Amino acid sequence: MNRTFGGLALLFLLGVLLAVANPSTGIKFGPGGDEWMKYRYTDQYYIDHGPEETGGANVVTDIVFDYRGYDTLGEATVLFTAIAGAVALLRPWRRDGDE
Amino acid sequence: MSEERGMGIIVETIARATIPLIGIFGAYVVSHGHLTPGGGFQGGATIAGAGILFLIAFGLGEMKQHYNKNLYSILEGLGGLAFLGMAMLGIGVAFFYNTLWHNGPIFNGRPGTLLSAGYLPVMNIAVGLKVFAGLVSAMVAIASYRRWGK
Repeated sequence: MNRTFGGLALLFLLGVLLAVANPSTGIKFGPGGDEWMKYRYTDQYYIDHGPEETGGANVVTDIVFDYRGYDTLGEATVLFTAIAGAVALLRPWRRDGDE
Repeated sequence: MSEERGMGIIVETIARATIPLIGIFGAYVVSHGHLTPGGGFQGGATIAGAGILFLIAFGLGEMKQHYNKNLYSILEGLGGLAFLGMAMLGIGVAFFYNTLWHNGPIFNGRPGTLLSAGYLPVMNIAVGLKVFAGLVSAMVAIASYRRWGK
């Protein structure tokens, strides 16, 4: 019974996502021309001002480390926590002894 | 204890030849992160791939002789601290203010040259160090987990 409802809910979510991803009712793919400046003006700002404002020729690095450095800081924290958790969980068990 | 030995002599010789090349390429990706595609995460994962190749080709026993748990923990923490320190350099204006680029003594060259972009190269190196140390220590922890057979 629960599995039936779960499958129906997944089907409903898939339908909603298909409607959202449809260019006639939802988001558009590959915007260009006027739509580029309407939907992607932030990207245009980064492309125009990235090298002069941060000095890096690689715009992705400019965004990731300079404009949105907090995100990279959080990402590094996630990596640190994942490594610490994995190493802490994979230690030898106490009753395995002699390690 | 047979799983602690390495693979055959061909694999070990090829690994001896390719591990430095992989390390050099990873160091290139990390240090040119502000000029070409790639950066700290990608280059760090590449160098960690060299470490994992060492672990697989030479075996866990050889890896344990060259691996120091405290050293790798210190390196990972040091990478994170260097990242935070670079972010705190321009704290007089704002957090993550790129003061080395705007009025710094170094790393203020023309965009496109190696010594440009303020703190971006230093941050790339810090993140690369962190990713390398973290992935290698995680792989060694997984490889030395001994509750499979017996």
